Amino acid sequence: METNQPKFTPVAELSYNQAVAELDAILRNMQSDACDIDALTAYTRRATELLRECRARLTATDQELRTILADLEK
Amino acid sequence: MASALTLQQLNRRVAQTLATPALQNVWVVAELSDLRVNHGHCYMELIEKDPDTGAVNARMRAAIWANMFARINAEFYAATNQRLESGLKVMVCGSVNFHSAFGMSFIISAINPAFTMGEAERRRREILQRLQREGVLDLNRSLEWTDTPNRIAVISAPGAAGYGDFIHQLFTNSQRLRFSIRLFPAMMQGANTVPSVIAALDAIAAESHLWDGVVIIRGGGATSELAAFDDYNLAANVAQFPLPVIVGIGHERDVTVLDYVANMRVKTPTAAAEWLIARGTAALDYLRRTCAEILQCATDRIASSHTQLAYMQSTLDVAPQAAITRAQHHLQQATLTLAASRTGRIAPELTRLNATIQAIGTAAHNATTRAAERLSSRHSLLKALSPEATLSRGYSITTYQGRAVTDPAALPAGAELTTTVAHGSFTSTLTDTKA
Repeated sequence: METNQPKFTPVAELSYNQAVAELDAILRNMQSDACDIDALTAYTRRATELLRECRARLTATDQELRTILADLEK
Repeated sequence: MASALTLQQLNRRVAQTLATPALQNVWVVAELSDLRVNHGHCYMELIEKDPDTGAVNARMRAAIWANMFARINAEFYAATNQRLESGLKVMVCGSVNFHSAFGMSFIISAINPAFTMGEAERRRREILQRLQREGVLDLNRSLEWTDTPNRIAVISAPGAAGYGDFIHQLFTNSQRLRFSIRLFPAMMQGANTVPSVIAALDAIAAESHLWDGVVIIRGGGATSELAAFDDYNLAANVAQFPLPVIVGIGHERDVTVLDYVANMRVKTPTAAAEWLIARGTAALDYLRRTCAEILQCATDRIASSHTQLAYMQSTLDVAPQAAITRAQHHLQQATLTLAASRTGRIAPELTRLNATIQAIGTAAHNATTRAAERLSSRHSLLKALSPEATLSRGYSITTYQGRAVTDPAALPAGAELTTTVAHGSFTSTLTDTKA
C-alpha cells in the first residue's frame, strides 16, 4: 500500500503561491468524485501541512513588512 | 552820476516782477535731485534731463516747508508706497518765490502721486515690452523646479533683516527639511544695486550645477529704492538666468519688473523660505503617501491571504469526512445496483433455467418411454427367433463337447452326446452312424 501513496515536494521548497495552488488543488480533488480514498489520509495530512506552512509564512511576512515600514516611518 | 539801485531794491523789483499769477500755483513736471530734509523742511533741486544725452538742461531750487512737508510726504507715501527721493519723477504744484537773501526757489504746496505711479508703470511696461520683443520675457518663468529644491543660492545684502528672516525660516522648518544655502552678497539699494546683483548672478551662473535655484531677497529699507530694480539689464539677466529665480524684494503692494520675469514672485523673504519648505513638504508628503499605499497594498494582500487560508481550513475540516461519506454512499449505491441487477437479470435466468430443467425431464422421460417401446418390440421379435421358440416347436440341439453337432461323421464311436429339448436335456452314447 505504501508504494501507492502520492509523492509530495517538501513544503520548504515551494513558494507561497505554489503552496496555495497545491492546497487548492487538493481541496478541489477531495470535494470531487475523483477522490482516491486510499490517498485521503495522505492528502489530508499534506493539506494540513501546506496550510500550516502558508499561515506561518504569511504571519512572518506580515511581521517583516511592519518592521520595514516602521523603519520607513522614522 | 547816474542813480543806482541798492541790491535790495533790485531784488525787490525782481520779486515784484515774479509775483505774477503765471508763476503762482503752477503744475510742473520734473525730476527730484539732491533731496534733503533739514529741521523738518525739505530742500531739493528740480531738474530736467535731455532724454537722449542725459545732460541736465533745466534746473531750479525747490523746497517744501515743514508745515506742508509732513502731510505731503505722508500722502505721497500712502498713495505710491514710495518716499520722495532723488531720481524720482514728480508732478508738483508750487509758486516761484524770490527771496532777497536766498534767491529764487520753487515753493511746493502739492504733489500729484498719480503721475509718479504712472511714470513708474510706464517705465516698467517699456522694459517688459522690450523683453517681450527680444523673446526672453518668459524664459525664467517657464523653467521647472526640481521636486525638492534644497540647494539655494541667495542674493542679498549681508546682515539685512530680510536675509536673517529667510535663513531663520528655512532652518527652523517643522519638517526638519535640510537646505544648503550660500549667500552671494550684493548691494540691494543705491546706485550700485544693478551691477552688484548682476555680478552675483554671474557668480552663481558660473557654478549653476551646484544650485537648484536662486533667491533674490531684500527686506526692510525704503520702498522707494525699489525703483532700482525696474532696470532693463537686471530684468534681462534674471529672465535669461539658467536656474529658476525667486524674487522677494518688495512689500505687499510693490511690484517691479523682476516680479514679472522671475520664475516665482513672493512678497517677503519669509514667504520665499515658506515656498521652498512647502515644496519640500509636498515631496515628503508624496513619499509618505507612497509609503502608506505600499503598506495598504501589503496589508490587503496579507488580509486576503488570511481569508483564503481560513476558507481552505474550513474546507479541509470537512472535506476528508465528506469524501469518506461519499465513498460509503457509492458503495451502498453499488450494492443496490447489484441487488437490482439480480432481480432484473438473474431471476428470469433462473426461471428460464427451471423451465429448461422440466423440459429436460419431460424429454428424458419421453425418450425412455420411446426406447422402452422400441425394446419391447425387439424383444418380441427376438423371442420369436430364439432357439427356445424352435425347441418348443419340437426341435432339439445335440452338442458334443459344448459344440452343436452338425455332421455325424465327425463324431467318434462311443461319443457322449448331450441333447437339449424344450423342457430339458438328456445324454446318449453314439452307437451307429448314418451318413
